[in-house]
Amino acid sequence: MADAPAFESPVVRNYPASRAGDLTLSDESAVTKWLVRAGAEGPTADLLDARFGTSRLTPGGALVLGSRPGEWIVVGAASEVAAAVAGLDRLEEQEFCSALDWTHGRAMFRVTGASAPRMLEKVCGIDWSDHMTPDGAVVSAPVALVTCDIARNDRDRVRSYLIFCDRSFGQYLFGALIDAGNEFGLSVAAATHSHSAD
Amino acid sequence: MTMSRQGVQPTEVIDRAVKLRFRWNGKRFSGFEGDTIASALAAAGEQIFSRSMKYHRPRGILTADYWDPNLMVQVGDDPNVRAGHRLLESGMDVRSQNVWPSLNRDIKAANRYLGRFLTAGFYYKTFMRPQWLWPTYERVLATFAPGGKVDLDTPHAYHDKRYTHPDVVVAGAGPAGIEAALAASNAGASVLLVSHEHQVGGHLRYSSDAADQAALAELRSTLGASDIEVLTDSTVTGRYEDNWLGIVQRNHPIAVERLIKARAKTLVVAPGLIERPYVFEGNDRPGVITPGAARRLINLWGVKPGERAVVFGANAEADAVVGDLERVGTEIAAVIDGRTAARISSTAGSSRAVEAVMVDGAQGPQRIEADVLVVAAGWTAPTSLLNMAGDRPVYDPAAARFFPSDPPSNVLATGGLAGDGDLDGLRRHGAATGRLAAARAAAVRHRLQASTARALPVDGDEPAWAPDERAPLGRDPHPELYRADTHGMVDMSEDISSKDLVAAAHEGYDSVELAKRYTTATMGPSQGKLETVNTVAAIAEARGETISQVGTTVWRPPYAPLTLGALAGRMFEPVRVSSIHPWHEANNVSIIQAGQWLRPDHYGDPAAEVRNVRRNVGLIDVTPLGKLDLRGPDVPKLLSLLYVNKWMKLGVGRVRYGMMCAEDGVVLDDGVTGRLGEDHYMMSTTSSGAGGVWEWVENWLQTERPDWQVHVTPVTTAYASINVAGPKSRELMSRVCEGVDLDAEAFPYMTVREATVAGVAGCFMWRIGFTGELSFELHVPAGHGLHVWEALMDSGCDLGVASFGLEAQRIMRLEKGHFIVGQDTDGLTLGPSTGMGSLIKLDKDDFAGKPELAWAADRSLPMVVAIQPDDPDVVPEEAAQIVRGDTNEILGRITSSRYSPTLNRSICLGQVEPDLAAGGTKVTVLLESGERIGATVIDHHAHFDPAGERLRG
Amino acid sequence: MLLVTCPNCGPRNSTDLRYGGESHARPDPNTASRSEWRAYLYLRDNPAGWLRENWYCASGCRRWFSIERNTATNEFRDPPLPGDKRGGAA
Repeated sequence: MADAPAFESPVVRNYPASRAGDLTLSDESAVTKWLVRAGAEGPTADLLDARFGTSRLTPGGALVLGSRPGEWIVVGAASEVAAAVAGLDRLEEQEFCSALDWTHGRAMFRVTGASAPRMLEKVCGIDWSDHMTPDGAVVSAPVALVTCDIARNDRDRVRSYLIFCDRSFGQYLFGALIDAGNEFGLSVAAATHSHSAD
Repeated sequence: MTMSRQGVQPTEVIDRAVKLRFRWNGKRFSGFEGDTIASALAAAGEQIFSRSMKYHRPRGILTADYWDPNLMVQVGDDPNVRAGHRLLESGMDVRSQNVWPSLNRDIKAANRYLGRFLTAGFYYKTFMRPQWLWPTYERVLATFAPGGKVDLDTPHAYHDKRYTHPDVVVAGAGPAGIEAALAASNAGASVLLVSHEHQVGGHLRYSSDAADQAALAELRSTLGASDIEVLTDSTVTGRYEDNWLGIVQRNHPIAVERLIKARAKTLVVAPGLIERPYVFEGNDRPGVITPGAARRLINLWGVKPGERAVVFGANAEADAVVGDLERVGTEIAAVIDGRTAARISSTAGSSRAVEAVMVDGAQGPQRIEADVLVVAAGWTAPTSLLNMAGDRPVYDPAAARFFPSDPPSNVLATGGLAGDGDLDGLRRHGAATGRLAAARAAAVRHRLQASTARALPVDGDEPAWAPDERAPLGRDPHPELYRADTHGMVDMSEDISSKDLVAAAHEGYDSVELAKRYTTATMGPSQGKLETVNTVAAIAEARGETISQVGTTVWRPPYAPLTLGALAGRMFEPVRVSSIHPWHEANNVSIIQAGQWLRPDHYGDPAAEVRNVRRNVGLIDVTPLGKLDLRGPDVPKLLSLLYVNKWMKLGVGRVRYGMMCAEDGVVLDDGVTGRLGEDHYMMSTTSSGAGGVWEWVENWLQTERPDWQVHVTPVTTAYASINVAGPKSRELMSRVCEGVDLDAEAFPYMTVREATVAGVAGCFMWRIGFTGELSFELHVPAGHGLHVWEALMDSGCDLGVASFGLEAQRIMRLEKGHFIVGQDTDGLTLGPSTGMGSLIKLDKDDFAGKPELAWAADRSLPMVVAIQPDDPDVVPEEAAQIVRGDTNEILGRITSSRYSPTLNRSICLGQVEPDLAAGGTKVTVLLESGERIGATVIDHHAHFDPAGERLRG
Repeated sequence: MLLVTCPNCGPRNSTDLRYGGESHARPDPNTASRSEWRAYLYLRDNPAGWLRENWYCASGCRRWFSIERNTATNEFRDPPLPGDKRGGAA
């Protein structure tokens, strides 16, 4: 048998690489993503420490999103995610909790640039102002009519958003984001995350 | 009326250094940058811009702005362009509309001699009978229909869409609107200022008064230095619940139009006032204009409106226009003051131009030679946005216009809409309104932030709702000038005269809302902005009542007409594909869209695909099959609650079929669920039911059984799902699988196993058989789906492996008699009707739909049955009726029908009345052609391999 | 467009949610008479006034909740109750 094959992204179509503008879009679908469920309050919530609507970078480098009450998405390199969810096994005796690897179920894109909120305004009805959606905020809403989880995750003080959608919509949504970013000079950038072994 | 370009005006908006060439009805013209189409044509001496809708009367400039009903033109392939508003561009091909064969020689103008026949309701009354002639009427009438020509080959233009959430939206950028925006911004609010016009400034733009110009310069410079977002050439078209606003931006750099959906915390309504035309004989003759038209022509574009003018008016606009006219050398023949008893009664002249004005003054009737008549009869308050917010404006006869009464407290009016005052007064009121809007917006913002989990935390209590302490604006007295002692046009867009309205009232259409619909007054492109109050006045006069008594129509969205393109915006049509999609696209696939999914229908020959599965082995991509990951100790209880059958004893590694019914007992979904581990199950649903079942499950867990420990996760596309089907499927699977014993004993029918497939760990597969063949339904982590598919294809060349699509699967499942929820069942099909009544376990304590299913057990129900036409070559249409003999009494219908390449005959599923359900029953099927064919109900659902030996193999 | 306040997500456009209709308690399936069960399935009070109704925050937190809305004025009152649908008309 061959070695484990490479991860196939839902985004398979090639797009023109570059336009003159500050906005970039990258396909980060290969990143490891786990979904953790437990009570909204309890030992799991304490361990993950990201209340609903907010996110937190763990010391180990994983990003924990409080995506729903009692629900968390943990993303990062496989080892980072593994470290972040490592303590969960021990909590199963204390409360009902579960965790599953959602890497293959969700596409993930990153939009970065000062005009990113203006671009998102074209596809999503959420208020992207600093007071309603500050850095670290997590929100679920339709983006170009596809329900997504979105996390504001600024890079070097530049606005940046992670957008998660069902994998099967990945190709469509990537195209819709490119269309929305066109007037701001969007360019497609290489992924900052690569897939590490399952 | 001879218009001409004059010397440079200090207030003009044209750049005389930039000459723009364009065509008007094929002839070459030129104008300047900053001209509208109409101002450029007027500067070139054009007087006639269109023909009226019904009588084809020549029409000239009336208001020279967006609302001008007479300036609708075609620009290239763009019909119904407002020449009074649209800026001139180089190379424009402008044509007049509603003329045939030409603007100057119009055959349909004969209609005007028929005027007395074309009264209100003429078309309704005349073309009703006989009904069979309507198609002919329609063809003829269509050639008379007003409006431009739509070119069906026009390429799709880019229309854009955007959402925004400003604290304050100010609709209208006159002095009060700008002050409101500035004050709100200074108070810390984020502000969106929307100007209907190309420049901010409202009426100050075309005032030659030095103080006005100084004020305008100051307002513009302050605005420019602020961080207010200003949209020009844009309109707030609608206000909906909770200050949800539609705004159309017409001058977006990359889009033809952009629809902005704004959620404003407070809305300031400051549209100003619109000059109302006066009704008298000949009031639509070219040369009769509003003072605003005269002042815009002179001060914005340097166009002299005529050589000799009569000015009739009752307000300061009339006074101001006299000064402007004199400055450009128009001789003032007479000024008739409407505040006295003096009136104008009619115009005289050719159909194309005013030559004289008939005046009824102190000296008695008098004819005054003039080529232009300026009429300042008063204003209409465009209260549309207030109406949309629920306000019912009130008429004040002393001021001769409507005023806001009691709009909701997050909608504030200012400017001329709210009252009268000098410029400083209006500005002060605007600023006070802006401060109030900002204060109330702050309270809303506090509430939003405090109640939204992701938002920045806010300190303190929500600010109190700021009281309205604005000093109200005054109301200048104004005579009620609606109609002279002669009749004239009320609605120039629709060619409705005051006589038509009086006639309509006498016919019984004497409520404004009825008269409006009957006559179509106010329903044209001006959307009532010019004609509504004159319409009300005409009805009031006919009823012998006051305007207050008659009341007005309720203005609804849109404030200004907008294109369908603007409403549609960019279309979002999400589609889903599996990770194997690239392979399908490279292999001659024919795609079918099923819901949002793009799925392989077939790869050229579905019958061949069927034969290959029955003979060798085939692969189908069934990724859209719904998959819900269920975890927790209470999953069996959940399954027992949602499915009609029993689930408490399903062993690890086992798979079971289940049927779900809704609370009314109707079949909702079906599929198999497998137990992957002690507390870990995988539920599959129909492809189309995946989303609905997920919500159904969540609903039960959250609202009826919140104490149960179950976590549900949709994993439909976390896995690429591949059904490997056919007698050689085990052989193929053995070549790619590791870590699983595929032997029939070790891995029997209706069990599930985990495996590593083609090097991909974490796959699971179950042995089920929708096709009726030995088959393995393989679920691969989606990021490796294409790899596994290709590995299967590569490994099975010698076995004859080939892909098959939905059509082949549909044929094979029909051969096996498997029903499809929603195709073979409908919204009334109760669980037992599927023939699977034995699944329903009424001895369970509770499950969805139990009472109805219990009551249904005593009843005879229509049944899903397998049917074979007597003539094996006839394939009935799906939905063909099953009838009683030669009658049309319906006894059932065909729900699925195909030609079976395996059996070489037609095969069907259908629903029939209970007494026809027994095997061997002869039925009659009525085909679409009208032919009746015989068919026979067979003993069991399966047309092929009823014992199921193949799939258990 | 109506803003509906989800107990978790805060005020959201109504199109982000799914309307679940009037709140109705589910009768005991083992004792309910036909008329009781069918009233649960099909009969709605539909008042012009205050009504406790269900919403599903489909695009947001995916939680069902109930809330009181005045159907005549679209005012909301009372904190929305997560998961509850047993309110009945107020």
